[in-house]
Amino acid sequence: MGGIYWLASYPKSGNTWFRTFLKNLIEDGDEPADINDLSIGNVASSRAWLDEVLGFDTAELDPDEVDRLRPEVYRWSLRDDAIAYHKIHDAYTSTLNGEPLVGREATLGALYILRNPLDVAPSYANHNHSSIDDAITRMSEHDHALCKSRKGLPNQVRQQLLTWSEHVLSWVDAPDLNCRVIRYEDMLEDPLAAFTRAARFLQLPHDTARIAKAIRFSDFKVLSRQEEQNGFREKAPKTERFFRQGKSGDWRDKLTPEQIARIVAEHGKVMRRFGYLNTAGEPL
Amino acid sequence: MTDAYLYACYGLTLRSQLQLPELLPLSASSFHVNVAEIDIRLGMVARGGLAGGKQIGPYAWVNARSLWLQVPHVARFLVSEGREILIDPEPGIDEDSLRVFLLGSAFGALLFQRGHLVLHGNAIRIGDRCMVCVGPSGAGKSTLAAGFMRRGYPILADDVVPVDSQCRAIPGFPRIKLWQDVTEKLAIDATDLRRIRPNTEKFNLPVGIEGAAEPLPIRWIYILDSDHLEALKIEPIPGMQRFQPLHNNTYRVQFLQGMALKPEHLKLCGQLAGRIRLARLTRPRKGFNLEPMIDRILADIAEHP
Repeated sequence: MGGIYWLASYPKSGNTWFRTFLKNLIEDGDEPADINDLSIGNVASSRAWLDEVLGFDTAELDPDEVDRLRPEVYRWSLRDDAIAYHKIHDAYTSTLNGEPLVGREATLGALYILRNPLDVAPSYANHNHSSIDDAITRMSEHDHALCKSRKGLPNQVRQQLLTWSEHVLSWVDAPDLNCRVIRYEDMLEDPLAAFTRAARFLQLPHDTARIAKAIRFSDFKVLSRQEEQNGFREKAPKTERFFRQGKSGDWRDKLTPEQIARIVAEHGKVMRRFGYLNTAGEPL
Repeated sequence: MTDAYLYACYGLTLRSQLQLPELLPLSASSFHVNVAEIDIRLGMVARGGLAGGKQIGPYAWVNARSLWLQVPHVARFLVSEGREILIDPEPGIDEDSLRVFLLGSAFGALLFQRGHLVLHGNAIRIGDRCMVCVGPSGAGKSTLAAGFMRRGYPILADDVVPVDSQCRAIPGFPRIKLWQDVTEKLAIDATDLRRIRPNTEKFNLPVGIEGAAEPLPIRWIYILDSDHLEALKIEPIPGMQRFQPLHNNTYRVQFLQGMALKPEHLKLCGQLAGRIRLARLTRPRKGFNLEPMIDRILADIAEHP
């Protein structure tokens, strides 16, 4: 009997980089994994996945009807022998039936990839071709969701994000959820320790040599070179490269004092909890 | 017997207890009543799947003669031997909701049972042959079909395209399902169009499939997808690599498991693969530029007649 580990994150929080590492770790190849074939599982909101398991079109359902069925789709994974690793951007919420969207029985755990919202905001703005102020506003809206238009048909179903703070707490404080937080900043600062902890949590090989190789194959220089040669399918058009130098602290150059103040005012409590603010409430 | 309506579709005569305004009605002459190949009835369908069958999803079971499908809060369907569909509605469910899943998955299964290859796409008449656009939900198949229709090309089938043993597309339901954002973009007045279901912004757009429309040989198949590209791209798929994309774009391909239909399906995939121009068409995910896309497809068709 298998089960799912969710690779959960708010958008633009390092999920892609983490999955690159995971792909390299699992493949254990002699060369870096292809950035255009990073699939080690599905994305939770994939319409194709849901439709295939259900046997009918989610396009014919409204978003709440779809959400009510999603736990069943994930439970179906239990029939596979292997553990599955799936990406998810949804906040950890419950359906109208009152059960967790991810399906309690199917979920072995969740690795929550967390990034400083001061860095998330400019990255999110860039990805959406919006202003940073708009991104900050979206990150502060309880009803913020991806793919929520009911007038068309995106290839992913609706994903309720809530506010950035609510998204974080929905996962890390979820009752009965085996959840482990990995900070993007720790992945940068001490990758061997951070990725080793993650691999152990996910029941994957975590000997030092194998982790170190996977880290080397997932280095931003390696990814950037691949993107330069072959392009990257997940990069939004008309943006500069997806795999720029992974950094924390970009916000110091990109955010105005007013924008910083807005983010801290809205998300300060959660930021402090995870080490993004000092005791005086100043960004670190 | 109880009231029944008669319809023609997919080259078949249907007798149905459920009214199907999407379909072409037939008059209730005794000739048609007697020769109806397909029976659609309301009745009891057992809960919990098929005894002795194989479960292929949380809501789907198959055995050698039947598919059992549940759409929670809507209905259970039992599709048998390519000639009968039994519908057991949930109490209080509206008929539009029954129809959308009947004409989708249930009919897809029926067509499989009749020995057809069933593609997930749209079939569009080009001269005396046809082009099929296949792809996942959300790829833009129906938008493209609507665009071709606006240019005067007849639509043979939308969403479910059965292919017979001679590799011809069989004409299906005379409508395209369109989302509101597409009707707005194409300046189609949706005021008088039937909604697919209550509470959805998706509409049935009638298309003028001639009553005597015949199956047409499939010559071109384009696999639609979207990506973070900045320009449209058409990539031909050469002979040896054609089989898998056709299999992957089969409608409800998982229904084939356990229905003992896979060998015939694979054979039809192989036959079709040998006769068509098959190409992958990838469009930019942001912004659906319809007219240039149609122009590009027509140019490709002209280049590979």
